[in-house]
Amino acid sequence: MDITSEKAVWQFFVGGDLNAFSTLFKHFYPQLHNYGLRISNNQEITEDCLQDFFIYLYEHRESLDHVRQVKSYLFVSYRRALIKKLQKRQLLQSLEETKDIFIFSKEEIMLGEELSEQRSKILETTLNELSPREREVIYLKYYSNLKTPEIKEVMNISYQSVLNTLQKAFSKLRSRLETAAISEVLKK
Amino acid sequence: MEKNKKQLLQSLLNDPSFRNWADKSNKNDVLFWNNWILNHPEDIDTVDTAKSILLGISFNKTELEPHEVANALDKVLHKIEGKKNQKNAPTLLHAKKTYWQFGIAATVLVLVGLLFFLNQNTEVIHRTGFGEIIELKLQDGTLVTLNGNSQISYDKNDSRDITLKGEAYFKVKPIPSTNAKFWVNTQDLRVEVYGTQFHVNTRDEKTNVLLDEGSIHLLLENGGSRKMAPGEFVSFAKGQDLLTHEKINTELQYSSWKESTYIFNNIELNEVMKYVEQTYGIPFEFIDKELTLKTISGGIPNHDLKICLSAIEKSTGTRIVLKDKKLLIIKEN
Repeated sequence: MDITSEKAVWQFFVGGDLNAFSTLFKHFYPQLHNYGLRISNNQEITEDCLQDFFIYLYEHRESLDHVRQVKSYLFVSYRRALIKKLQKRQLLQSLEETKDIFIFSKEEIMLGEELSEQRSKILETTLNELSPREREVIYLKYYSNLKTPEIKEVMNISYQSVLNTLQKAFSKLRSRLETAAISEVLKK
Repeated sequence: MEKNKKQLLQSLLNDPSFRNWADKSNKNDVLFWNNWILNHPEDIDTVDTAKSILLGISFNKTELEPHEVANALDKVLHKIEGKKNQKNAPTLLHAKKTYWQFGIAATVLVLVGLLFFLNQNTEVIHRTGFGEIIELKLQDGTLVTLNGNSQISYDKNDSRDITLKGEAYFKVKPIPSTNAKFWVNTQDLRVEVYGTQFHVNTRDEKTNVLLDEGSIHLLLENGGSRKMAPGEFVSFAKGQDLLTHEKINTELQYSSWKESTYIFNNIELNEVMKYVEQTYGIPFEFIDKELTLKTISGGIPNHDLKICLSAIEKSTGTRIVLKDKKLLIIKEN
C-alpha cells in the first residue's frame, strides 16, 4: 500500500467502513506481528494483544481522525499496549533491562553479492552484540522500513540518538569486517 | 564522534546526490563524490558510515501465511460483531420493569444469536479490500478472480452455489460425470453454469454478465430467463426490468481488470471514474464539469490508486486530488 492509498483507506476506516478496516488489518497485521514477537518472544501474547489492539482501533476509530502517519502511529501504539500487557503479567520489567529482544538470526541476513557466508556471520554477531535498544533501531529501519523520523516517534528518542546508533553499529561492523579480511589475507 | 563529523554525517544522509553516489544511480553524482572524497581523505570514515547506513542491511523476512492473517481477521471481525450485540443486550436487562415482554425479547435474542452462530459456522466468505485483487480456487477446482471491494460467499458444503457482491471473473470446472451445475447468485439474477468462463459485476445497482466461453443460463429476479452465447453481454437491474442483451466485440473493457489493468476503448472520463470509485470505494466529483466528456483509450493500471490516478491524469490532461475523502477532478493548470 503506498502512502496515498494508506491515507485514503485510513479515512474510510475512521468513517466506520469494515472493508477499509480489513484492508488495514491485512496490510499491517503481519508487520506488527513480527515486531511484537521480537519484543515478547511469546506468540500467544503477541497475537492476543495484537488482535485486541485492532478491536480497540475499530472501537475508537472516531477519535483517530487526527492520525497522519498511519504506520508509525500503529507501531508506537501497539508497542505501548504490548509492553503494558507484558509488565502486567510480570514478564517484562522494562525494554532496557531485557537482553533477549530483537535478536537476529544468521538465516535472516540476506546473502547478497557483497555478503559472503563469513561476512554474514560477522554481521550477525555484531548486530546481536549491540544493546537491545540499538537492535530495535536497526530492526525498525531495515526490517520494518521505517524512516528515521518515524523511528524517533516509535521509540521516543531523539533524531540524533537514532543516527548515533546507526553510526555506531556500522563503524563496529566495518572494523570487524576489516579485521576478518586482514586475518584472511594473512592465512594465505 | 566530534561535532563537525556528526554534522557531516547528517548532511550526507540528507543529500540526494550523495544517495545517488552510494547506490551508483547517477553518473554525474558518482563523479562528483569520487572527486570530493579524493579531496577530503580525512572524512573517508564518515563517508563510509553514511554509505553503509543508506545501503543498509537486507533481511529475509519471515512473514505470516495469508491464511493465518485471514484467520486472525475473522476472529477480530467476530469479536467486533459480538461486542456490537452485547451493546444491545444491556438495554434489555436494564428494563427491569418489563414483565412478560422480557421473556419474549430474551427468547428472540437467543434465537437470533443461535441463527447467527449456525450461519457463521458453515458460511465461507472471501472479501477483498479496496484495490486488492485475489485469485481463489474453490473446492471443486473452479477459479475465481475477485476484484477490489468485492465479496463471494458460499456454504462450506457446497462451493458450487455462491453469492457475489461486487465484481468477479469465473472459470468454472465442469464435472462431466454428474453434470453438476454451478450457480452464481446476485441481487438481480442467478447464473446457471456447466463449465465455462465468464465475468459478473454487481456494482452500480445492476448485474452485468459477460460470457467468454461455454454457455450459461440466467434466471432473472423478475422470473424471466435468458440463455447466453460466448461473446454476449447481459445487463439487468431488479425492479427496473431493464434488460440489455447484446453481442460485444471486445471483452476488454469489462473484464480487463483481472490482469491488473483497465483497458478503456474511447470511454468517457465520467465512466472511468466510476470504475475507480467501485474498486477503491472513493467517491469523485468533477469541479470542471466539461471534463466529464473527455475520453480515454488504452490501459490504466488498477492495482495501486496512486499509479492509477496518475495514469488517468496523464492521458486526459487533468489533475485529480484527494480532498475530504473525495477525488476532485480539475483542469490542469
